[in-house]
Amino acid sequence: MLKTTLAGLRAHKLRLLLTSLAIALGVGFIAGTFVLTDTIDAGFTQKFSAAADRIDAAVTPAPGERSREEPLVPAAVLEKVRAVGGVADAQGLVQGTSALMGKDGKVAGDYPTAGVSIVEGSLNRTLITSGSAPKTPAEAVLDENTARIRGFAVGETITVLDSEEVKHEFTLVGLFDVGLNQELGFTGAVGFTTGMAQSMTGEKAFREIDVAAAEGVTQEAVRDSIAAALGPDYQVKTGKDYADALARQNGADTQMITMGLLMFGLVAMFVAALVIYNTFNILVAQRTREMALLRCIGATRGQVFGSIVLESVVVGLLSSVLGLLLGYGLGAGALAVLTSVGAPLPSATAALAPRTIVLGLLIGLVVTVGAALLPARSATRVAPIAALRTQVEEHTFRAGLIRVVFASLFLVAGVGATVAALGMEPGQAALIVVMVGGSLVFLGVLTLGPVIVKPLGAFVGWLPARLFKVPGRLAVDNSRRNPKRSATTTVALTVGVTLMTLIAVLTGTMRATYTQKLDDQFPVDYMVQPQARDSGLPRALAEDLRSRPELTGVAAFRQTMAKVGKGEDEYEVGTFVAPADFRPELVTGSIDVLRPGTAVVADYVVKGLGLKVGDRVAVRTAKAGAVELTVVSTFDPEVADLAGVTVPEEDFERYFGAVGDSRVLVNARDGVSPERAREVVEAAAQPYPTAKVASSTEVRGEFDEALDMMLMIITGLLGLAVLISLLGIANTLSLSVHERTRESALLRALGLTRPQLRWMLSVEALILGLIGALVGVVLGVTFGWAAAQTMTEEVAFRLPVPQILAFVVLSGLAGVLAAVLPARRAARASIVGSLASG
Amino acid sequence: MTITGEVGAWNARGDAAAAVVARGLTKVYGQGDAAVHALRGVDISFATGAFTAIMGPSGSGKSTLMHCLAGLDTVSGGQVHIGDVELTGLNDKQLTLLRRERIGFIFQAFNLLPTLTAEQNIRLPLEIAGRQADRDLFDRVVETVGLRDRLGHKPAELSGGQQQRVAVARALISKPQVIFADEPTGNLDSRSGAEVLSFLRTSVHELGQTIVMVTHDPVAASYADRVVFLRDGLLVSELVRPTPQSVLDTLMKLEA
Ligand SMILES: Nc1ncnc2c1ncn2[C@@H]1O[C@H](COP(=O)(O)OP(=O)(O)OP(=O)(O)O)[C@@H](O)[C@H]1O
Ligand SMILES: [Mg+2]
Repeated sequence: MLKTTLAGLRAHKLRLLLTSLAIALGVGFIAGTFVLTDTIDAGFTQKFSAAADRIDAAVTPAPGERSREEPLVPAAVLEKVRAVGGVADAQGLVQGTSALMGKDGKVAGDYPTAGVSIVEGSLNRTLITSGSAPKTPAEAVLDENTARIRGFAVGETITVLDSEEVKHEFTLVGLFDVGLNQELGFTGAVGFTTGMAQSMTGEKAFREIDVAAAEGVTQEAVRDSIAAALGPDYQVKTGKDYADALARQNGADTQMITMGLLMFGLVAMFVAALVIYNTFNILVAQRTREMALLRCIGATRGQVFGSIVLESVVVGLLSSVLGLLLGYGLGAGALAVLTSVGAPLPSATAALAPRTIVLGLLIGLVVTVGAALLPARSATRVAPIAALRTQVEEHTFRAGLIRVVFASLFLVAGVGATVAALGMEPGQAALIVVMVGGSLVFLGVLTLGPVIVKPLGAFVGWLPARLFKVPGRLAVDNSRRNPKRSATTTVALTVGVTLMTLIAVLTGTMRATYTQKLDDQFPVDYMVQPQARDSGLPRALAEDLRSRPELTGVAAFRQTMAKVGKGEDEYEVGTFVAPADFRPELVTGSIDVLRPGTAVVADYVVKGLGLKVGDRVAVRTAKAGAVELTVVSTFDPEVADLAGVTVPEEDFERYFGAVGDSRVLVNARDGVSPERAREVVEAAAQPYPTAKVASSTEVRGEFDEALDMMLMIITGLLGLAVLISLLGIANTLSLSVHERTRESALLRALGLTRPQLRWMLSVEALILGLIGALVGVVLGVTFGWAAAQTMTEEVAFRLPVPQILAFVVLSGLAGVLAAVLPARRAARASIVGSLASG
Repeated sequence: MTITGEVGAWNARGDAAAAVVARGLTKVYGQGDAAVHALRGVDISFATGAFTAIMGPSGSGKSTLMHCLAGLDTVSGGQVHIGDVELTGLNDKQLTLLRRERIGFIFQAFNLLPTLTAEQNIRLPLEIAGRQADRDLFDRVVETVGLRDRLGHKPAELSGGQQQRVAVARALISKPQVIFADEPTGNLDSRSGAEVLSFLRTSVHELGQTIVMVTHDPVAASYADRVVFLRDGLLVSELVRPTPQSVLDTLMKLEA
């Protein structure tokens, strides 16, 4: 029996390869995910343990501090630590913001650069990649990336703003690598001597204190003595523990990536399982005669079952091994790409961990054998007598009662869940219910597949049948002759198309919803903001803008944090200066209700403090002490973009004194070209280095870019599932072609030309592809719509028609592509040889 | 009268109104030591409006000859003419169009497309050629083969004999210059076989159809106007107006 199976496999190498490829791609993706994240993890661990060699202990504030601000270690503690016995050296690390100025005289980048201290001596962990570390307060270093983007070279003078936005000049003496600090990697960083870092950033306290132990003192010993000296307010770790903790923290990040990628891997494996299931089903059907013969000559049911399972084990093993190799390549490739685009990743060689190998083999094997079990069972039902029948019977399919009952249950449950979710408050719970509903409906469609594939085949085949005459009509017939087979083949494609459509609908809807909100909230052409969001712009800027004839509708907003209500809760309290036609929408009444001594309050403040209109609320102000304000109206911050507690301008000035503008909105006057208006706004902003000008189209563009990026990545990842389903179409077709060898020969004898025969198969594939795509599009649009409803209120639903059309057309084309090889084979076959074949 | 003399006489007479003519036809399968000479130089012609049977022992080259004559397979040497068209030298596309226009086929088994009804199967060659079925001819053919009430059935719902009758109707409907049939009754019992054979003979005599049929069965061969005998890839004998007994006798002689 073993020999028969292996001989059979050897005889069909191409089919074996196609089948294996489906699983191999899935396993490869999963293995690749592990290779990538394992390698990144290993690199992190390596880097952190290198750091641990330098420090013997690290002091950080004890976790669980109440304050919202990042907890810090006061400078006094450093002196205490230095005084502890066994401590050879201790250095505090400073990190704050100090904005680097670009060569254009404006602050560089969208966010202010960080200012950090570069520690001297053996405790220095910063990697200086060129030049040297700053030795005097007049020297500074830049991170490599920022230096490259902003065009600074070692030896030049750089200008940096301190926390009071006063300019200071430094000599750039070196460049450094931010290493794994994501925060610094994002904003860029300027490094100073510790003292200068404190004065530039205004941070007097430290993020952490690093300690070097004296000769002969162990890490544990120095940790214990420091801990004893500092008491429970601070956490003291040995260098090794500290490095481990950092590595774990980063490990958690990579774990998120792993989970995300594995989701796509699972989808791919599901599709691969469908492909395998279908392949084995067809193989069993085709080998009915062979198996009946085996049964005639004495093979038991068990042996027949065993031979199919054995075949699936061979396929599973082969594809898993192939998948692991593929995964290694994928992981290494992804790593290379990520490094080349400058992702802050530690360099390490890709690693194929034993866990990856075991998991890969296991998943590949289990999925393949699992998918082959049902077909193998049906193989055992072949009666020995079947060997004597001349022609293999056509598979007539009748929708069984059980199938209909199950499908109805799935559909009813799925639709019910979705409708229920639509009635829920928008939020994560509703989204999850929609997803569950979608999955159930999908199961229903999967079960009903063979029933709906026939009418669908006739529907999508209507045009091809008229366009391609005989080959077209025969193709439509062929696509419908074995509904179960067609259904499974197309459902594999449906999975990918459904998810792609869903994502396209969601992003399209998000884009539309966002644009609508943006138009409501940002009905202006330009916005000027300080680079650091929590600072302010001098009021003179808004004055200047108001005086320009090209501009109109200048609205300036100010805000500051203050304690509101009886508790310790802080909210933003603000005001605005705007032309009379600026009318933010309130829940009751108009903005005119805002009179001295009153406030309009955002929903979330009302909720947080348990207020209602008419109540009086206490605000602790900087200049006027505690004041009581009457709440005159409320607003929805999504509709009116005001500070949480908005008061009249005169009041605000009295309460808080001179506060800079946090946001200035400007419109171009009618008839002024956007270029001209932009120039004017830029000119007005020029004297204020921290002022950043954005146009509404830019803001929209940024969001669009982010969405497009997301759409591209997800679609790309789902592309794998689609690729696998195409292998499935190719496999089904080539098996069908094999099955219909004599039919094709007959048609050729009757005068069908080779191109016509190829067309016939291509059209069949086209129909299969279109059915899969259509079902996918319907499901994707429906559940994309439902999911969008659960995300926020007032969704502006958008059907991304071009994208959806592209999916359908591409699916059809991909189907045709999948048919190329089988069709060539069929057309090439000699008529005489095919007529003679069994 | 020698056997070869008789062959020559028929060929000379047949050339005048020959539907199919082969000259010096050879066919070699494989190469070198493994080469099989399936046809070793066959000269034969089939008169228009005649029903000819090809007989011979198994492996004598009957099917090979038929495939070469019908343009289903390439020849190794010699020439084949269907009407005024020379087959050798035509490319695949031209051969396909020739089959479409001028040749009908009936095979031993698997003659019909399982997805099509009997009627659709009958019309298939016309549809492929993009021609309209002649309504009268269709009715006459369907009447002749007695399938009127079976037209809407799929092949799986027809008996073996009915399936072959559909195949005969399909071959007749496009009025081909010649119909090639390879053991059309090989899978049928004698009664169904006799039915199919009488239809073939009727179509020759009433519709003027030319038919070339390969068979193993002396009774089937006796329906033909003429029987030619092959042995080891050579034409060795022939009979005009055969009876089952005379066919059997000739076969015995050949095998001796
Ligand atoms: N594709 C092929 N390759 C090699 N040899 C072949 C091939 N087809 C036929 N032959 C050989 O050519 C010879 C003639 O075969 P053919 O099929 O024409 O015989 P036949 O007279 O039709 O026999 P049968 O009565 O058994 O059908 C045989 O010896 C056969 O083995
Ligand atoms: Mg034969």
